[in-house]
Amino acid sequence: MALRMWASSTANALKLSTSVSKSHLSPAFSISRCFSTVLEGLKYANSHEWVKHEGSVATIGITAHAQDHLGEVVFVELPEENSTVSKEKSFGAVESVKATSEILSPISGEVIEVNKNLTGSPGLINTSPYEDGWMIKVKPSSPAELESLMGAKEYTKFCEDEDAAH
Amino acid sequence: MRSPRILEVWRLGTVNYLKFLKIQDKLVSERKAHQIPDTLLSLEHPPTYTLGKRRTDHNLLIPQSQLTKIGAELHYTQRGGDITFHGPHQAILYPIISLRSIGFGARNYVETLERSMIEFASMYGVKARPGNKCETGVWVGDRKIGAIGVRISSGITCHGLAFNIDPDLNYFEHIVPCGIADKEVTSLRRETDALLPSEEVIHKQLITCLAKAFSYDDVLWKEDPSVILDTQR
Repeated sequence: MALRMWASSTANALKLSTSVSKSHLSPAFSISRCFSTVLEGLKYANSHEWVKHEGSVATIGITAHAQDHLGEVVFVELPEENSTVSKEKSFGAVESVKATSEILSPISGEVIEVNKNLTGSPGLINTSPYEDGWMIKVKPSSPAELESLMGAKEYTKFCEDEDAAH
Repeated sequence: MRSPRILEVWRLGTVNYLKFLKIQDKLVSERKAHQIPDTLLSLEHPPTYTLGKRRTDHNLLIPQSQLTKIGAELHYTQRGGDITFHGPHQAILYPIISLRSIGFGARNYVETLERSMIEFASMYGVKARPGNKCETGVWVGDRKIGAIGVRISSGITCHGLAFNIDPDLNYFEHIVPCGIADKEVTSLRRETDALLPSEEVIHKQLITCLAKAFSYDDVLWKEDPSVILDTQR
């Protein structure tokens, strides 16, 4: 519901058509860039985590959409370095508004680094979900898993559909 | 046409905390596997202090060794939130529901739990409000009447809310409730002169407020609690 309201007020501001039907949302992610960023070049899981694959290292965090739906993050629990993560299994949790939310790993692999800044500054997840709020760096054990994740356009549509569900 | 959203409600009476955790674990697995619909447990605990994932033991103001003397237990949980007390005459609701099917994140979920309690309080003329930033829960003025602490795993909720009907508020003296110092705890009994009906009626009203807030089409009241209480199955 909120997505449609923002989209229509943004459309008003830009003097675009105010009827936000799906046929007007092309390219889909151009409107979402105004309020809940979805970045090109990243891969996305349907549990709202992102993966940035660079060479033999994959960086993982949660998306702008996810942090917005969580509220202000006050505590982050991360795995130990050298531990293993598995696709679609929990690797940690964040706390916001008295809710502990598990974070699921989009891929399997070995944790080579965790973002220690999140201990003292958990709010980085809210203010910089794709940069300073990164959570873990992983050496992927099955790079093919990345193929099954969503790209930016697909993830944007996924978020819109999810938000429209209620 | 979307299919109707049903909430199955189990009213379990007084349940020991560890036993409840076993029941909850089983139901969460079943909900994740789509073996059960959205489910709600309505119950009370004997005097019990619980801590959240952050394990803020410093907010327990008496030594753990003293707890048996005052007839209370202490348990560590994986929920969000700080230390709290559960006891007789406090209505507890534990929703085990799918947030993905309603597109809710933690914030919407918790705000809807707050709204449920606020709506319920208004039935007795009590004007409650949601907490300020970082003070999640339900307040009457500066006095806390309802607490929330939840966990969300793969989009399925567990733990939940506790609303003070008429618990022994002295138990709250032994903690810094929810980690918020200098704020009182209150109860429905304290905030209204209205005649309170039986607790069974009160719990049913609170459940109905929650079902309405989450837009359930129907509530299925499960009659035989032994089905769920028998965790050996």
